[in-house]
Amino acid sequence: MTMTIIAKRTLAFATLTMAALALAGCTSAAAVSTHTPEADAAVVPTFTDVWVKAAPELMGGTGMTALFGVFENPSHDDITILGGTADAALTTTKLDTHEVVQNDAGEMVMQEKKDGIVIPAHGSVTLKPGSYHIMFWDLKKPIAVGDTITITVNFSNGTSATVDAVARDIANANETYDPKADTGATPAPSSTMNMG
Amino acid sequence: MTRRGFLLSAGTTTGAFALGAGVGVAANAAVALRADTAVGAATVNFYGAHQAGIETPFQAHGVFLGFDLKRDTTHVMARRMMELLTDDAARLAQGDPALPDNDPYLAEKPARLTATFGFGPGFFTKLGLSSQIPAGFADLPAYRIDKLVPEYSGSDLVISIGSDDPLTLAHAVRQLTRTARSFSSIRWSQKGFVRSQGVAPATQTNRNLFGQVDGTINPAPGTEAFAGQVWAEGSPSWFAGGTQLVLRRIAMNLDTWDKLDEGGKEISVGRKLSNGAPLTGVHEFDAADMEAKNSAGLSVIPDFAHMRRARTDNPKEKFLRRPLNYDDGILLDGTSNSGLLFAAYMANIQTQYLPVQQRLVDLDLLNTWTTPIGSAVYALPPGCLPGGFIGEGLLS
Repeated sequence: MTMTIIAKRTLAFATLTMAALALAGCTSAAAVSTHTPEADAAVVPTFTDVWVKAAPELMGGTGMTALFGVFENPSHDDITILGGTADAALTTTKLDTHEVVQNDAGEMVMQEKKDGIVIPAHGSVTLKPGSYHIMFWDLKKPIAVGDTITITVNFSNGTSATVDAVARDIANANETYDPKADTGATPAPSSTMNMG
Repeated sequence: MTRRGFLLSAGTTTGAFALGAGVGVAANAAVALRADTAVGAATVNFYGAHQAGIETPFQAHGVFLGFDLKRDTTHVMARRMMELLTDDAARLAQGDPALPDNDPYLAEKPARLTATFGFGPGFFTKLGLSSQIPAGFADLPAYRIDKLVPEYSGSDLVISIGSDDPLTLAHAVRQLTRTARSFSSIRWSQKGFVRSQGVAPATQTNRNLFGQVDGTINPAPGTEAFAGQVWAEGSPSWFAGGTQLVLRRIAMNLDTWDKLDEGGKEISVGRKLSNGAPLTGVHEFDAADMEAKNSAGLSVIPDFAHMRRARTDNPKEKFLRRPLNYDDGILLDGTSNSGLLFAAYMANIQTQYLPVQQRLVDLDLLNTWTTPIGSAVYALPPGCLPGGFIGEGLLS
């Protein structure tokens, strides 16, 4: 049953991909579009299995953590996760989208993904340790295992969603933050995300 | 569509879009790797009126994990712990990773994975819930045959995990332990096994490491007898559909047992080693004739025989036995380190278990070769439905 659905979906998109490739050289990709952009304007991505790394103790009166989960885009157009905001009691710093990349020294570091995280049309994106995440800075209070954190996530199509994330214990998601990684400059003194 | 299906299809879709046909080959290879056999793909429904892992036919491998609540764990935190453990257990039971899970591929073959939760006496007293202790639930009295050691005895929380695959089981143990340890400290873990899936018919009674057919008198799953023996009624109300577990670690001295011949072994229990039939019968499930005498005028099933001492005609003293064998290697003197994780499930320990245990303490030839070295009791809450959690009736 499940496999049948997958096969159909895969086939459908494979066909569409080939059509797009065939047309890409001589005409606008919009030519294969069969929908009106207006119809998707209000589509809000859906999300499942959202969790945040617990930060049971603050260090030096503050802390940081990250949020992960699966975001699905049921619309015909790509939608980008732009970031979000948390309850002011937790942090007043804007929640940025981040990625983990290899820096010039070959180390895996995280950096802001300034253009946001794309959820492909009719697809999904998984935010996970070592990859995309939504970053929390300047925590004003700890986040205990089992706490539920509520944030507002903003999307490129002007929509937003209220997302609940359960705090879980995990040993990884400790990537070093390297604010210079995307500039190619010598890494500045970096901070390590380590709530463990 | 299941969550697995969704993730799989989403990944495939994204791949086809991003890179075209080249990715298709790799995606197919990944699918082939996770293809399941009937044993690997088999699941036991986590949700329901009763917790899974009790009426569930034996899985080949099992682990009991004993935890003590941390000193600062409050009622609210205990509730959170059970919510998170329930979430982990429900996901793992259907072959999905825990949330989060650093080794998600180890969750792919559930092989009838179940995780069952129970509360020890300390769980109630530490959380101020003494008024909610189920009827008949209390620590066992000290028995003269016991040589209990703390590393196998008691705890505030037990998680009993079973699977037909030891790798899947090890992964589940790790995930559940990671969740539990934010609120509690591990006290012990005890690992056991029966025969592997497919080695014997699923309905065949297991053997223990003495070679005895063990569990013949168990109630059959799904029967009224099973429900009557195992599932508690509402006293207190949160416990309706729950059960009580007596977990005893019984060291079995295989080396002194080896000194017996087959006849000596059989009269110690009163059953034939070949098929578990009572010494007065032919087939395993034949009723025993306790009056039968041999040509010398002695009881065929002796007074000291385990089955005579353990058996009862009183339906209120019957319960479910779901023991696992343990075999923890060879001691430095060359003798065995083996035995039984004797797990008995019943609605009421006081009325169903204590009378039987007392008879075995008073007289049972098997005590010659067996020594209880661990003992613990737990109240296992009823099951829950999706959106709920194990223990919600007590902790909500």
